[in-house]
Amino acid sequence: MMTKQVRYEALVKALHGDLYRYAYWLCHEKQVAEDLVQETFLRAWRALDSLKDEKAAKSWLITILRRENARRFERKRFEMSEYEEANITDTQSITTEQELENHWLREKIAQLPPEYSEPLVLQVLGGFSGADIATMLDLNKNTVMTRLFRARNQLKEALAAQPEKRGMYNG
Amino acid sequence: MDDLQFRRAIYADPNNPDADTIAAQQQDPSKKQFAQEICQLDEKIMRALQVPVPEGLAEKLILRQTLASHQVQKRKTRVHLALAASVAIVGGLMLNFMQFSSAYNNLGDYALAHVYHEQGSFANNATSLVTLASLNQKMATFDGNFSQALGKLLFADYCRFDGMKSLHLVYQGKTSPVTVFIVPKNEQLSFSPDFNDKKLFGSSLEFTHSNIIVVADKNESLELWQQKISETVSWLI
Repeated sequence: MMTKQVRYEALVKALHGDLYRYAYWLCHEKQVAEDLVQETFLRAWRALDSLKDEKAAKSWLITILRRENARRFERKRFEMSEYEEANITDTQSITTEQELENHWLREKIAQLPPEYSEPLVLQVLGGFSGADIATMLDLNKNTVMTRLFRARNQLKEALAAQPEKRGMYNG
Repeated sequence: MDDLQFRRAIYADPNNPDADTIAAQQQDPSKKQFAQEICQLDEKIMRALQVPVPEGLAEKLILRQTLASHQVQKRKTRVHLALAASVAIVGGLMLNFMQFSSAYNNLGDYALAHVYHEQGSFANNATSLVTLASLNQKMATFDGNFSQALGKLLFADYCRFDGMKSLHLVYQGKTSPVTVFIVPKNEQLSFSPDFNDKKLFGSSLEFTHSNIIVVADKNESLELWQQKISETVSWLI
């Protein structure tokens, strides 16, 4: 029989990365994402006994995190502003071609409307099926599939339209 | 499966194609190529989505939980302590109340109860008598004095009258002993001038510092007793 503490630590180690990334794509700010994850895990600790099925842990945590995020907007309504591109700027220096492409694509994903990006993040990063996502977001499965289709479609078009050469070239 | 349907299915979930889309890919090389393209796109998306996780986030999360649950525990022990203290106080008060509060709230009731309690101890025809001198010695405690004997005094001693030191006198009566109490005044018991039950009746005389209560059976004349007491008793103050 595992103690609550052991269960909690296992949960943190296994899922904090996924949860942080999900939070990041939800709010586009590193600090806010970290705060959200902290709040989420603290709540998860308090309610850990209600988690019966360990397989459902990820979607359970994501549900808590979404609620936390919604609460954030209730608390500080005035901070609800249009997404600013400056927020997404990665402070890491971009060196390789791969990172350059990642960075560029990140901006494109961040520019997607949240109702498109959220299912995409859940599917690609979380590995959830369309039906799972529909349950978590409280949507119809067909709606989820349409949004996934539109999200990828927009990214594909953005990629097709990207200039052949980008970034800084010296010499 | 037409082209639009196929594209929608691939776009929606490129990595988990159902049987129909797999079959369509095998039949049409251009569809297969499209599916591969989108899979590549998905890999790029996957890489892009994997933003770096802050270092030490897991440790931070565990630390915060440990601190939080520690605080909760501390708060819990405080609450338990407070509860235990409250129970102890209530228990103490109850005990106090039960031990030191009087079960009777007027002089008459208590006097009757007292007389019944000691009924068996005194016989009306007992031969050992208490002298006036030793009675007055005891009366000195109450600053009182009897000028002459009220009758045959069978018994005289201090006793507890609802927790108060008082003098308990038993005189020989016509059919059964007559009891006289000299009780210091007390606010707990209300003064009751006359009281009775089926067998006994009694009356109280109020003086400055003490009450004198006479309890006798129905054959006695309480008025006579009261009159004799009033005539013979005198108080120093």
